This record gives sequence, C-alpha cells and structure tokens, in this order.
Amino acid sequence: MRRTKRLARVLLTMTTALTSLAALSACTDANTASTPGGKKDTLVLGSTADIQGWDPANQPSFQGWPADAVYQTLTRFDALGKPQPDAATKWEVNSDNTAVTFHLREGMKFSDGEPVDAEAIKVGFDYQASHGGQAARLSDYKATTPDSMTVKLTSSKPDPGIVGMGGIKVASPKYLKAGNLNKAPVGSGPYTLDAAKTTRGSTYTFVKNEDFWDAKTFPYKKLVVKVLKNQTAALNALKTGQIDGTLIQQSMYKEAIASDLRVLGMRGNTTRLLLMDHKGEKIPALGELKVRRALNMLFDKKSLAKDFYQGRAVPANQIFRPGSDAYIDDLKDPYPYDPAEAKRLMKEAGYEKGFTVTFPLFGGLGMEELIPVVAQELSQLNIKVKQKTLSGPTAVEELLSGKYPMILWPLGNYGDSKQDIKDYVLDDGIWNVMHQPDPTVTKLWDRFLTSTGQEAKEIQQELNRYTIEQAWNVPLAYPEGFYAYSPKIRIPEMTDSNALNPRLWDYK
Amino acid sequence: MYRVLLRKFLRAVTILLVVSFTTYLLMYGKGPGIVRAVLGREAQEADIRREVARLGLDRPLLVQYGDWLQGLLTGDLGESLFTGQSVTSLLATRVPVTLALVFLTLVMMAVLSVLLGVTAAVRGGWIDRVVQFLSVLGAAVPPFVIAIGLVFTFAIAVRVFPATGYVSPDQSFGGWIASVTLPTLALLIGAVAGAAAQFRGAVIDTLSQDFVRTLRARGISEREVVFRHVLRNAGGPGLMTLNLGVMTLLGGAVFIEQIFALPGLGSAGLEASLQGDVPVVMGILVVAIAIVLVVNLFADLANAALTPKARTR
Repeated sequence: MRRTKRLARVLLTMTTALTSLAALSACTDANTASTPGGKKDTLVLGSTADIQGWDPANQPSFQGWPADAVYQTLTRFDALGKPQPDAATKWEVNSDNTAVTFHLREGMKFSDGEPVDAEAIKVGFDYQASHGGQAARLSDYKATTPDSMTVKLTSSKPDPGIVGMGGIKVASPKYLKAGNLNKAPVGSGPYTLDAAKTTRGSTYTFVKNEDFWDAKTFPYKKLVVKVLKNQTAALNALKTGQIDGTLIQQSMYKEAIASDLRVLGMRGNTTRLLLMDHKGEKIPALGELKVRRALNMLFDKKSLAKDFYQGRAVPANQIFRPGSDAYIDDLKDPYPYDPAEAKRLMKEAGYEKGFTVTFPLFGGLGMEELIPVVAQELSQLNIKVKQKTLSGPTAVEELLSGKYPMILWPLGNYGDSKQDIKDYVLDDGIWNVMHQPDPTVTKLWDRFLTSTGQEAKEIQQELNRYTIEQAWNVPLAYPEGFYAYSPKIRIPEMTDSNALNPRLWDYK
Repeated sequence: MYRVLLRKFLRAVTILLVVSFTTYLLMYGKGPGIVRAVLGREAQEADIRREVARLGLDRPLLVQYGDWLQGLLTGDLGESLFTGQSVTSLLATRVPVTLALVFLTLVMMAVLSVLLGVTAAVRGGWIDRVVQFLSVLGAAVPPFVIAIGLVFTFAIAVRVFPATGYVSPDQSFGGWIASVTLPTLALLIGAVAGAAAQFRGAVIDTLSQDFVRTLRARGISEREVVFRHVLRNAGGPGLMTLNLGVMTLLGGAVFIEQIFALPGLGSAGLEASLQGDVPVVMGILVVAIAIVLVVNLFADLANAALTPKARTR
C-alpha cells in the first residue's frame, strides 16, 4: 500500500514539474510578441502546403505568402486579375497583343544591395524562360531593355494574357547566377528571410524591409509562416493563438465560428461535371448533345446548395466567376431542373438504357460525399457510376490523361476568365482532357487573340454561351472555401484573383 | 562476442539492401508524374521532359539505385525532387524530433511498465485488476484518439500545453518539454498498457518457479527476491517487448506527428511517399532501419548482460 502511494506521489510530482515548465515556456510563445502599446507586430500564418524552395520560377500562387514576402513582381493583380503597380509604375500593351512595355520605379534595391533595373529584370526573365513550369510559355517571348528603367517583352504570336507577364517574380541577377537558389532568396520584396529562425518544411521567419516602396501596406514588423498541413492541427493552433490565420475545410466552419474566430468566405471554385467527350470517342452517349443537355436538367441545384453544402454555396448555371469578363450577368438557367424532360431526351437520343461511367477522385476534396449524391441522380437516367481513387505521384497525370471522359470536380474559377477558357475550353486546355478540337471555339479564340477592351469581353462571353449551348459542362454550385483568422488581425478585403486565400498585402 | 557482433552487422547490411532495393522498385518509373507535380499545371511536355532528364529519372532502375547506393556510402543521400533541399539537411532537422518523441516514450514506457507490471504481479488483488483493466483500455484506444482527447483537454479547454509545433531544446528547454509532452503521452498510454501486461505476465511466470521458492525458504527478503532475482529473469521477455515497441512507436509517430504538426520523420515520410519524392523516402528509410537495428543491438547486449544463456546465441 505504502509503495502504491509512493508511486502516485512520483507520478504527481512529474506531472506538476511538466506543467510548470510548460507554463513557463508559454510565456516565450513568439505570437504573443507585441509592442508596449499593445499592438501586434508579428503576423503568424498557417499554411496547409509547403513551398518547394526559393526558386522564383517555381513559386505557388496558392498560399504563396513566402514568395509574396521576399519577391516583388512587376505588377500585382487585383481580385479580377487587373494589374496594379509594384516594381513597374506603368505599362503599355501594343494593339495586337504582341508586346508589353514596363516602366520601372526608381531607387529600388535587392536585399544584396544590387539595383532593381531593366537589366536585372531581363536576367530574371531569361532565367524563367529556361527554368520551371512557365519555361515553355515564356520561351515565345524576348526581353529587351530600351533604357535602364524600361523593359519590353515581345511575343512571337499574339497573347491576350500578355499583361500577365507582370506577374513574373523579380530576383537578384547575382543570386540567380550563383545557382544555389534554395539557400536563401535574394529579392526586393516587402520582407527578407531570417534564415537563422527558419526551418525548412516547418517554419519560415521574415523581417520587414523598411526600405520597400510600399512598406506602409505591410503593417507587421515580423512575418512567420508555419507549415501546418493537417487542417485540424491548423485550426487547433489558431484557436490557441499559435497562429493568426489558416484555411479550413467547409466542415470546420461551425467550429471556427463557435471558437470566436473570424471566417472569410471565398468562392474560388465551381463544382461541375466536365463532359469532355464531345465527340463520343470513349463514351458514345456523351457525343450526343441531347444526352449532355439531359444531364444538365437532372440536378436540383438549389437543393444541392441548401442541403449538401448546408447553405454555404450558391447554385451555378455557368462555370465562370460572377464579375469576370466571360460571366453572363443576366443568364436565365438554360437547363432548369426537369428530370422528366431529361428522361425524354435520353430516350430520344437512343440512350434510355443509360451507360456506365467511372469518376476519378482524390481524397480530401469532399468528393467522397458528393459522388454518391450525384450518382443517385444519374441513376434516374440508368447511368451507373463507379469510383476510382487516384493517389501518389502519378495521380494528377492519370486524372488529366483522358482516361476519364466525365469528371466531377470542384475546379477553380478565375478573376481573369481568360484562364478558365485556356484551361477548360480550348482543345489544348489541361482540363479539356480529351483534347477534341472544335472549329467554333478555334475561330472565336483566334479573334480574341488580337482583341482588346469591350470586344475582348464580348468574345469571352460568346465562348461561354457556346459551351453552355453545347452543354460541355454541368455546372452545379459555387461552394464557399473558408479562411479562418484571429480577431486580433484584420482582412478588410481579399484581392487574390484565384479567390483561394488572402494575399500578403491583404492583412492589416 | 565479436563474432556475434559481426554476424549482426552483416545481417543489418543485408536487411538494408533488401528493403532499400524493394522500396526503390516500388517507387521507380513515376518520374514524369513527379516532375509534373513539381512544375505545376502550367508546365508543358517540353518542360517536363527537360526536367526528367536533368534529374536523371529516365535512366534504368539499376543505374539509379546504384547511384543512390554509392551516395549512401559517401554520406550523400541526394536532394529532394520537390524542394531541392539536400536529404541530409532535411534529416538533420527531422530526426531529432522523432527521436525525442520515440526515446522519451521508450524511457518512460520502460520505467512505468516495470513499475506497473511488477506491482500488479507482486501485490495482486485490486491493484492487479485495475492495472489489467487499464492495460486493455489503453491497448484498445488508438494513439490518435488519445492524442485528440489530450489536445482538446490540455491545449484548448485548459491552455497548459501547445496544441501544435515543436520547439528545439537549444531554443528553450521549457518550450521543448512543453511541445513534446502531449505527443509523448499520446504514444505512451497505449505502449505502456501493452508492455505492463507483458511484464506482469513475465513476473508472475518467474514467481511461480522453483528457485523463487528456494530463495524465499532461505529467508531472503521479498524485496530482494523480486528486484534482484525475479526481475533479472523476467527481463528477457520484457526487453523483447521494449525492442518491438520501438517499431510500433515509429509507426505511431507518423499519426502523432500529423495531429501535433510536428516536423518529424513520420510526417516527412508520409508526404514524400505520397508525392513520390524518392530520395527523401530512401533517406528516411535508412534512418528508420538504423534506429530499429541499433535498438535491436542494445536490446541484445542488455539481454546478454542479464542472462548468460543469451550470450552464445
């Protein structure tokens, strides 16, 4: 008995010692750092993805805070993809979209002291034309420097997205030539990396660059990006004040609100069924317009938004983002919910008996829950659904290989709808997985290449209208993605043109 | 003794070769897929082909494996395909995290399971029943469930420990203790449950042997019988339990590191294998095998010190 008491005492002592140590260490938590006035001077962001290193040619646009911190771009882009000044104060595009000229801001310097001038921009551009995932696209361009503060990019063919070249990250030519890009980045952005307080794959610490031309837009003296891939862990870190903001899954919304956090809703996705086999090469039924239209009439989108998405989505009748150039404002749903009419169309097309389709899916996108709902509706038309979970390094490749001519996916919609057209409509679009050419689309795109202003907008809407008439997609809903953040910080406006996360300059 | 050690060393090298080659075989041939994931969706075929060639992922399997093996001998484990970070520097930051977790758990598991196991076996009665009940309970509840419970209780409801993250001891010792307490506890509860039951069984077995009766008949005190003679005899099976426990702990660490967002080997290994980052997976594999083999060796040596019979095996 005495021994048992002793054992209990030992355990109690250990626990007490641990608790008091923990309490002591809690006082050294970096996120409690504040100035005497009580104003926070450190911003700690949770990121659900790690960066691949510091190569400016290979920085993510999704949760790209580390790159936003250390690298400037020629132009920033607003929520609708319109360029705003950064390293360039102004720019002009010529009449046929084959050349763009950027005029640089005076007096900028890289963190290694080198000047940010036209020559540095050209070196950086040439580097990216031979490295990273944009190389093939950039190799159509040539960079020239009419004077030390002017850079001209000339394309061998018309490119309506030419002004997007302003998004290229600017890095020191010395650093690019030295070759060891992953050691520490040398840029001219609003922050510099504090390598001593950085552990790759887990914590990146940055110190404010007070000489940055737009320093007032970035109120925090220190920035920390913590990699928290598991969103449950990230939300726990946010609840307990270890971080100031993180993306959360839809299912965590209520918990975040109940924990007195602020939550930002973002509609950067359109959940849709992609019907890519317009010619019926793999699934003959999809080659019939009547079948594709029948599929469009099968879903009660209002109920889907209300019940499946618990009201945190709005029904979609087109794939483009509201407010973007291609979006048609006053579009009445061309395919109202009418299962009886859908059945009739299937019968007319000779596919009364339906067909079988395999939906690919990735874990973690909420597809496991959505597929059964969609499959049940499809069964009304005798369409049988199989599922195949793709994983591992070749998953993306398999998904986009054309093996699956009908895909259910929550795909991004862009503030700049040209990008949607490139990805989803053109025959070489990455998501147009069957890559079947269409003469109407080609003709419209060719006209679009050299168009500007209102005409460009009208052509985009025409393309949108055509894909709706041809029923290339079954748009279902604009679900909300959520960004949860601490009441100690402010995010008055979110300017990410992908509408997927706040950008670094959005935090106040 | 030296012959035994040499034999063990050769066995270790064989295991390393077989396991590493099998892993390479499983991960081989995914080059273009990996590169596509690295370069992102804007990348075109030409970019992908160029990068595959640059990384040497288009070479035959044996050439790539031979290259890796050669690197291993010179201490160069290559670079992550995703981040370009050298695998050795990645391991340098991640090994201490997982080792801290596994080592702390192991030490506490040894102490607690001996204490609980011996107490239950020697005293019997209600203590024994309570220990047995807790053993079953601890073994039945998976570590990640315990982890979630601990986070909810001691990090969110009562803010005693941090909910996520790791602080290295050279930054702040108190911070380090705080950051590893909950993860260690989460691993420990299940591990102790199993090990205590094993110890209890081993001690009860030994207590019923003839030599114990003889010792007691000689008037040797019960304490000396238990702590000098019985424990020594029960040590063999106990050590085996701890030895196997290390492998279980390494496996458990994968989940625990996810829940507490600890930058350890488990989370890195999981990620790298999903991405197909071959050099990182191979580096982590080597470290994991090394940990298991070293612990194995120590267990054998300790066993030999305890029981003369084991020395000739």
